[in-house]
Amino acid sequence: MAKQQIRLKVNGETYEILVEPYITLLEALREELRLTGTKKGCDLGDCGTCTVLLEGKAVNSCLVLAIDARDKEVTTVEGLAQGGKMHPLQEAFIEHGAIQCGYCTPGMLLSAKALLDMNEHPSEEEVRAAIAGNLCRCTGYVRIVEAILAAAESLARRGNG
Amino acid sequence: MEGAVIGQSVPRLDSPAKAIGKADFTADLRFQGMLQAKILGSKHAHARISHIDTTLAERLPGVQAVITAKDAPAVRYGVYLKDEVLLAREKVCYLEEPVAAVAAVDEDCASEALALIRVEYEPLPAVFDPLEAMQPDAALIHQDSSSYKAVFPSVRYGNVCMYTRIEHGNVEEGLAAADLIVEDTFCTQPVHQCYLEPHAVVALFDASGKLTVWSSTQQVFVSQATLAEVLQIPMTKVRVINTYLGGGFGGKLNPWLEGIAALLARKSARPVKLVFNRLEEFMATQPRAPFIIELKTGVKRDGRIVVRVAKIIGDAGAYADHALGETAQAAVRVQGPYKIPHMRAEGFCVYTNKVNFGCYRGYGVPQAVFAAESQMDIIAERLGLDPLAFRAINLAEDGDLLPSGERLRCVSIKETMQTAAERADWMEKRVNKVAGRGIGIGNAYTNTGMLASSVFLRSNEDGTFQIFSGVVDIGTGANTILCQIAAEELGVPLEDVSIVSGDTDMAPYDLGSIATRVTYDTGNAVRLAAMDVKRQLFEIAAKRLEANIEDLEIGHRHIYVKGSPDKGVTVAEICQHGLYVEGGPIVGRGKFLGVPSFKTQPGEGYPLDPYPSFIFGTHIAEVEVDKDTGQVKVLRIVAVHDLGRAINPLAAMAQIEGGIGQGLGYVLTERMIFNEEGRVLNPTLLDYKVPTALDMPQMEVVILEYPDELAPFGAKGIGELPQICAPAAVANAVADAIGVRIRELPLTAEKILEALRQDSV
Repeated sequence: MAKQQIRLKVNGETYEILVEPYITLLEALREELRLTGTKKGCDLGDCGTCTVLLEGKAVNSCLVLAIDARDKEVTTVEGLAQGGKMHPLQEAFIEHGAIQCGYCTPGMLLSAKALLDMNEHPSEEEVRAAIAGNLCRCTGYVRIVEAILAAAESLARRGNG
Repeated sequence: MEGAVIGQSVPRLDSPAKAIGKADFTADLRFQGMLQAKILGSKHAHARISHIDTTLAERLPGVQAVITAKDAPAVRYGVYLKDEVLLAREKVCYLEEPVAAVAAVDEDCASEALALIRVEYEPLPAVFDPLEAMQPDAALIHQDSSSYKAVFPSVRYGNVCMYTRIEHGNVEEGLAAADLIVEDTFCTQPVHQCYLEPHAVVALFDASGKLTVWSSTQQVFVSQATLAEVLQIPMTKVRVINTYLGGGFGGKLNPWLEGIAALLARKSARPVKLVFNRLEEFMATQPRAPFIIELKTGVKRDGRIVVRVAKIIGDAGAYADHALGETAQAAVRVQGPYKIPHMRAEGFCVYTNKVNFGCYRGYGVPQAVFAAESQMDIIAERLGLDPLAFRAINLAEDGDLLPSGERLRCVSIKETMQTAAERADWMEKRVNKVAGRGIGIGNAYTNTGMLASSVFLRSNEDGTFQIFSGVVDIGTGANTILCQIAAEELGVPLEDVSIVSGDTDMAPYDLGSIATRVTYDTGNAVRLAAMDVKRQLFEIAAKRLEANIEDLEIGHRHIYVKGSPDKGVTVAEICQHGLYVEGGPIVGRGKFLGVPSFKTQPGEGYPLDPYPSFIFGTHIAEVEVDKDTGQVKVLRIVAVHDLGRAINPLAAMAQIEGGIGQGLGYVLTERMIFNEEGRVLNPTLLDYKVPTALDMPQMEVVILEYPDELAPFGAKGIGELPQICAPAAVANAVADAIGVRIRELPLTAEKILEALRQDSV
């Protein structure tokens, strides 16, 4: 199949790339754009390590074709920090010890961001449900859930302040 | 300044890089001209290879190298028994065993090339069940196993790749003295570590012929030595690096992928990257070995255990690998943290035509403790005793003997059990039972401190310090903890210490990040190196300050005479003075090998060295079982651990919570299902069933601190034990809830329904 030229808008930047139609968004991000913050864990949509935001929604980038993401807004972990300042979720993950090996972290952060963008005051149960597609083998999820709840609080405080 | 850094919950030093997506794992690396590799796996579980034709694959445009066994030196390697080969030579012993490998311009091209390799097999009778494999007429998986080198006095025959027999007391006397003898057989299933980062390697040879390998390994030095061995090149020509590791849990010890990537890099004269996909992870890496555990335990009417006879049958799969060590370890640890005056344990590790099994967080102990703690409850019931009361009668104490001859030290099981019982409200919950609910206990101990560690510690002229260590921070926070230990000993703030780790060219030898050993062993080495540096700093400062070394103190980045903190010199000035004036830069070194004070009686064919120290823990689990569906919901786990001292309580708690999560998967849902051809039927994370955030119970983690004087600042480590205690506690809670005991893991809904159905007949 012939390669196709597509435009990807990733973290506010526009990229023109040539890809085979069967290339996934995950492969395009990692191999074409060299944004390796997004991790590959299973390629089947089971583990969530490749989670990115597509038009604000959390998706497994291994299940999205790059050509289907053309002209859409993609946010990866590299786009979370703004102007050199980390997102409150990133700060909370560090502070609460939610990062161990760190391989699930980028995907986990983006699932959490999708949740907080929709729901400013999630319950613990809602947080757990939102990250149920993101496996973590190191933490038992305890500190991740804590960090997301703490980030929600800190974001709410900023919003009110 | 004691206590300034140790005991502080500081965020892991590597977490900012991981949070912003700038931590490069091995698969993220890319080099000019880099090729992608794929491995061709065997299509048979047991077969002779009559012919391999790689001509078509080699001709495919884009293919740069194709290798088979003839491209590798004829070397067998292995951690205990040297029975493994990089690529199958003459025969294959498990399905998907590497037969050939390809390096090509991209992964698609490499996959296409694999399909062009023609392998002719003559299938051989295969054996998948270890009990069948032990029969005298079973098909032999390794015909010439007697020629294999072993690194211990090995006893082996037929398909048994290790037989060991260890014993203390007099078992016959014990059996005669017992009022009640209880016999049970328990079975555990193969489970995968399911670290989220699949195995990855990048190999390249430089112009001088030196091989550099970036690898997702937990043991860079073991990888280096093995690569030198299998490639037949000197160790100085091999450098192994790990930058970040996405979890390992014992699943990233065996360095065979590195060897295959290196052979391809040599043949193609290009950098080669080899990354496993999840299917390959499940089919061809080293999951935890399944065990059959037979226990015969004799007790007195008053509840005292007098004797135990244990037989452990470990399934090695196709090569001995770590299953061998695990089987031996289980034979010792199946005693549990109890006094057993007469004990005999036999271990059989048996070849079968399945993937070679390895180790997973606990090294044989989770299997043993599931069996031992299940039987403790069975015996308590037979004696009409509360499970906790029965355990209390038998708790181990300092100096108690293990069948390997080791003597238990720093025993704190009484304290962990009491604390857990109080926190979990044990008595109340046992007495006032709620239908469908159960409560169960899991007591365990395991070893810490194992083989050698060494580090360098250097000062910089600005008064900061850098550790050079061979450990890999696999996600435990090891690097942060080692910096805390150095900062504490040096008397400087944590931010003044950094660490370079996971690189064989940058640090002296360390066994690596396995077996709950880093805090104990590398921690001791770091502390000794820091003491060495501090002594050198004080020697220079003493001259500058015209004072005695003994009168000096360090604090607030100054060295001063005690009592005069306003006078003195800065640490930076002393570092500079050393560098420019006084004999050169200040470099410290520390090395540590935890040699226990007791003598061991290794028994027959026992492969393990004695351990210097032990850690203890108790978990109590509460569960609810739906008797209509068989579904188990774990409501709460109270986890109490004595880890000597928590260098970083936040990191220690997270280790315990993570261990509980893995333990729940082991006891309730996880299993690799093999079919009659040796194929894994559920090789995806969805079908395999790793617990999610929704499956986690409420966790109450309690850390007790009974410092071990041989450990750095008393800290013994925590790594494996939470995963050892949790399954036992949950299994006992399920039995308590449903009134029937299931002796085979995992406790799936199907098995629970079946047990309930049989029980009601």
